[in-house]
Amino acid sequence: MKKLVYFICLMLAGYAARAQNPVFTPSSFTAQDQVTLTFDVTGTGMAGATDAYLWLWGNAGDSPLNTSWTNSPDAAKMTAAGTNKWSFTFTATVLWGLPAGQLQNFRFLVKKRDGSAQTPDQGPFNFDPLIFTATMLRVFPSKVDVNDLVTVNFDRNYGITTDEQRMTPTTATITMYDDQGIQVGSPVTAPVTKVGDTRWSKSFIPSLIFTPAAGRKLTKFKYKFNGTILDPSGSIVTVSSSEAEITFTVMQ
Amino acid sequence: MKIVLKTGLIIVAVAMLFTACTPEAHKEIGEARNIVASLEGTWKLSKATQVDEDAAFKGFPTYVTTMDITTIYPYTDFVLKFNLTNGVPSTFTTIPGGSPAIIKLTSGSWTVDDPAFPKVITLTSGSTTEKTTLGGYTVGPNSTLKLKVSKYLFPTPVAGPKLLITYIYEFVKQ
Repeated sequence: MKKLVYFICLMLAGYAARAQNPVFTPSSFTAQDQVTLTFDVTGTGMAGATDAYLWLWGNAGDSPLNTSWTNSPDAAKMTAAGTNKWSFTFTATVLWGLPAGQLQNFRFLVKKRDGSAQTPDQGPFNFDPLIFTATMLRVFPSKVDVNDLVTVNFDRNYGITTDEQRMTPTTATITMYDDQGIQVGSPVTAPVTKVGDTRWSKSFIPSLIFTPAAGRKLTKFKYKFNGTILDPSGSIVTVSSSEAEITFTVMQ
Repeated sequence: MKIVLKTGLIIVAVAMLFTACTPEAHKEIGEARNIVASLEGTWKLSKATQVDEDAAFKGFPTYVTTMDITTIYPYTDFVLKFNLTNGVPSTFTTIPGGSPAIIKLTSGSWTVDDPAFPKVITLTSGSTTEKTTLGGYTVGPNSTLKLKVSKYLFPTPVAGPKLLITYIYEFVKQ
C-alpha cells in the first residue's frame, strides 16, 4: 500500500513538474533580451543523461547551434540546473545574428551530443514584439494577470482561412487552465461587441469568471471567436476562428 | 520753434519714463494651497482607462496601447471617501457597488508621501497596503481626482522594474 502511495506521489510530482516546464527567466522577453530557459527532462529520452545540448530553431530557421545532429558544438552545451534539469542562456538577436524584427518565435529540444537521445519538440514560444504587427487574434493588454481586465480581439481583415475572412463573429469562447494544465470549469462562451468595421472584441476579468481548485492558480487561457457565414446555397453556417493561447504574466 | 518742440517732447518722454518706474502695490499671494485638504471628501469614479505601457513604450498605435474601459464593467459605481483629522489624512472607505474592486481595501487609513506636494497615496488596512499615484492635483479649475495604479513584472528583472499596465481612474467630487 505504501509503495502505491509513493508511486502516486511520484506521478503527481512528475506531472506538476511537467506543467511548469520549461521556465523562462525573465518570463517576458523580446528577441533583444537575454533569457535563460530551464528545462526538466524527467520522463523524456534525456532523463538521466550526464550532459545535454540544445537544438534551437524558430520562424527564422535553424539557429547556428544546429550544426550537425550527430555532433552538436560546445556552444550548444547546456548547464546542469539540478536533477534532470538543464539550462541555457541566450540572446536571440546575437545568436541568430538577425534584427529583432525578423525573430518572432522559437522552438527547441534537448539532445545528447551525438543525437542518440532527445526530448520532444518544445514550443513555439513567442518573443515579445518590438514592432507592432496587426494580427487576426490579439489580446489587450499584451501582458495580463488574472485580475486584469482582459480584452480579446478578432480582426477579420487578418483572417487566414476563408471562413475567418468571411465570418461575422457573434460569440467568443474562453477556456481556462490551471498551473497543472488542467481545464478550469467549463469553457465560457459569451457575446462579442463590434468595435470597428472588421473588429470584434470580448472583455472579461479572469478571476471573476473562473475559480481554480483549492491550492491551484489560473495559469493560461485559450480563446477563439465563433460566428456565421453564408454557404453557396445562402444557408447560415456556424464557424470558428483558430484558437490562441495566452499565459498569464505575474505582476505586482 | 523746432528746438522748443524737441525739448518739450524730451521732457514729456522723460516724465513718462519716471512715471512708469513708479512701484506698483502687489496683492498678497494668499495662503499656500493645501492639496491634502482638497482630497478630502467623497469621490465617485467617472472614467477608467487601461494603458498597455509596454506597447506604449514601443510606440505601437494608440488603439493597441490605450483603452477606455469605463463602460465594460460598472466602474462608475465605485465610490472612494477620504477623511482628514485636524487637516491630516486619517481614514478612508471604498464602496465598489457593482464595479470591480479597483482598490481591494474597503476601509482603513491613508497617508501621503509628501504633505505639501503629495504624489503617492498609501492605503493601509491591518498589514495590507495598496499604493496609488496621484495623476494631478484637484485645485483651481481642475476638480477631477485622477489616481493611477501601476502594475510591474514580477519578479523584478535584473535590468530593473518593468512597467506593464497602468490603470487611470478619474473621480468627480460628490
